[in-house]
Amino acid sequence: MDSNEVMIKIESLTKSFGRIKALDDLNLEIKRGELLGIIGPNGAGKTTAIRMACCILKPDFGDIKIDGISIHEDPIRIKSMIGYLPEEPNLYERFKAKDLLKYFAELYGVPKNDINGRIEYLLELVGMTERKDDRINTFSKGLRQRISVARALVHDPEIIILDEPTMGLDPATANSIRDFVRNLKGNKTMILCTHYMAEADSLCDRVAILNKGRIIDVGTPGYLKSKIHGDVILKIRIQNIDDVNGYKEQIMKFPSVAAVDFVDGEYLISLKYRNEMSEIVELFGNNVNSINTKEPTLEDVFINTVK
Amino acid sequence: MKFTSITKWEFKNTLKSKKFMMIFFLQLSVLFLMIIIFNSFVTNIESDNSVSITPSLSGFASMDVLDQSGLFLKLINPADISIVPLSYNASMSNIAEGKTTGFLYVPGNADQKIRSGQTIDMTIYLDSSDPKSSVVRDEVNSTTQIISQSYSNTLTDSVVPQNTTIPTVKQESTGESLPLQIIKKVMLVILLFLPLLLFGNMIIDTVVGEKERKTGEILIAMPMSQAQVIIGKSMAVVLTISLQVAMWLIILLIAGFHIDNPLLVFIFIFLTSIPIIGITSVVAAYSKNFKEAGIGLSIAYMGIVGFLVVPVLLYLSRKSFIANISPMTIVMRIFSGESIPPTDYGISLAAILIVSIISYWIAIKLFERDDIMFGPRPGILRLIYDLITFKKF
Repeated sequence: MDSNEVMIKIESLTKSFGRIKALDDLNLEIKRGELLGIIGPNGAGKTTAIRMACCILKPDFGDIKIDGISIHEDPIRIKSMIGYLPEEPNLYERFKAKDLLKYFAELYGVPKNDINGRIEYLLELVGMTERKDDRINTFSKGLRQRISVARALVHDPEIIILDEPTMGLDPATANSIRDFVRNLKGNKTMILCTHYMAEADSLCDRVAILNKGRIIDVGTPGYLKSKIHGDVILKIRIQNIDDVNGYKEQIMKFPSVAAVDFVDGEYLISLKYRNEMSEIVELFGNNVNSINTKEPTLEDVFINTVK
Repeated sequence: MKFTSITKWEFKNTLKSKKFMMIFFLQLSVLFLMIIIFNSFVTNIESDNSVSITPSLSGFASMDVLDQSGLFLKLINPADISIVPLSYNASMSNIAEGKTTGFLYVPGNADQKIRSGQTIDMTIYLDSSDPKSSVVRDEVNSTTQIISQSYSNTLTDSVVPQNTTIPTVKQESTGESLPLQIIKKVMLVILLFLPLLLFGNMIIDTVVGEKERKTGEILIAMPMSQAQVIIGKSMAVVLTISLQVAMWLIILLIAGFHIDNPLLVFIFIFLTSIPIIGITSVVAAYSKNFKEAGIGLSIAYMGIVGFLVVPVLLYLSRKSFIANISPMTIVMRIFSGESIPPTDYGISLAAILIVSIISYWIAIKLFERDDIMFGPRPGILRLIYDLITFKKF
């Protein structure tokens, strides 16, 4: 498998719903075997973008090529290559778990002789073997999500697209889903839409930040964090906030300082290196209430990028 | 052929559904009840002592009469048949054009001949393809009996002069009465078409249900076209209706109803279910929720019932060729044992085909539209505009 080969190529993708522009000239490339995370605020166009990749929605303009095939040319073929897990695990309530998988296996065109074996394997994989004869309407949200994951993988797709797979799940179930994604990493090309920055940080090879239908930035989590902030963020809470701008000017004079923000009585100082940290603190004298440091996270990147 | 998988699973789930089975058996119970009521009704009509609940059917059938003696014109019952005095040629032309059901010729000196004890020869010409012809024949027969009884009594009185009692004349009907024919030929047909409307709404449950349960998204993500989804689901409903109609036919045959060519009747009802499900699919594809679909369905079904029933009445009253556009007319004619020319079948089949193509095309196009599936949904006027201008549609 050539990991540099582009598996998904999104070109000038544009889509409007009435007067609302959901996607505005979106361009993105995803390599074979890569796990790309898409983060962005609500209404950024994440779900619209992945629905188009799954040929559920049609773009107003632009194209998506999956393994070189355009969604305009052969959507049926593209659909058969993708395993899609939508945001809400809505399933047919009256189906038994194994019947549900069988139904979708037939729709995906899995050979009849392989269906039962594949279902047994997936039920085992998601830990649902003992509940295979139970109806979906007896399942908790976590179990529904597990069976949804099995449903998305029933045809052993080359590409897996997951829209908020851990949303609303308890920490244990969310972790099991994350482990599951981690195990698939490298074997499948995956897109993961998530609101959980830590999830994107820990799982994704690259992360794309989407806002107002456009890609704001894309890169590895490390690259994004270093690009926005320095190595460390110094947080200084002060007592007297009368001379905020005066302090800001003085702080910015230090060569190690990349950026300064004042939020809720607290200075957030991004430092490129740590050498001048004590000198910066001394600037405030007795006006200091508390001092903290923290490593920059993807959440900081997200907030800084989309604000 | 992925739609066959959808059909298979939808049909399987329908049969497994307790709700469906309950409705299914409830309908069969209603059918049994209707058969009992029907039999009681028929017995009531045929009974001399019954209370008449027959609606007025004045002018239902018409007959031309050439009767210079005025014998029949005076005595024939005008309640059911409109009598028009006309010549032979004009009447024959009327029969050919379907304007009248029959022509009765009574010799000019009939009255004098009967009085002198001679027999007379009357001639009745009937359009045998017209289901009302038996009504006309019955009325002529009963009038003949009335005249016969009347003259017999007069002759008896003349032989025994002291007997001065006025003869009482009672009209008796032979064969099937007109209301009975309407019940047999129209009501029974309506009864058999009923499952089409009772189960047609299942497509609402399967299509609108996908939107309400938000399962439509994963279904569209399957490697098949939206057309296959609509056709797959529709075929499951058509199969369910076929099962129901077959059972109703079997029950009616067991209950003693005479149905000429039940297989042909079944095939026609089966074919009729296809466009009806198509129209219902259009309502389902456009509707956002069950409430909206219910309103849409009521309006659509009023139109469908009108399209099916009005031509039947048109055929009964005027024997109009265009009335064959309704498959219900064809089924009624099959019930009557008429020999139906291929052109009459053709017009009905063409109507089924055209309505099916148009309705499924619209349903599929609606289901394919992003704005209808995921919003914001366009209004009906906007859709018509898009259709006219070929924009997006």
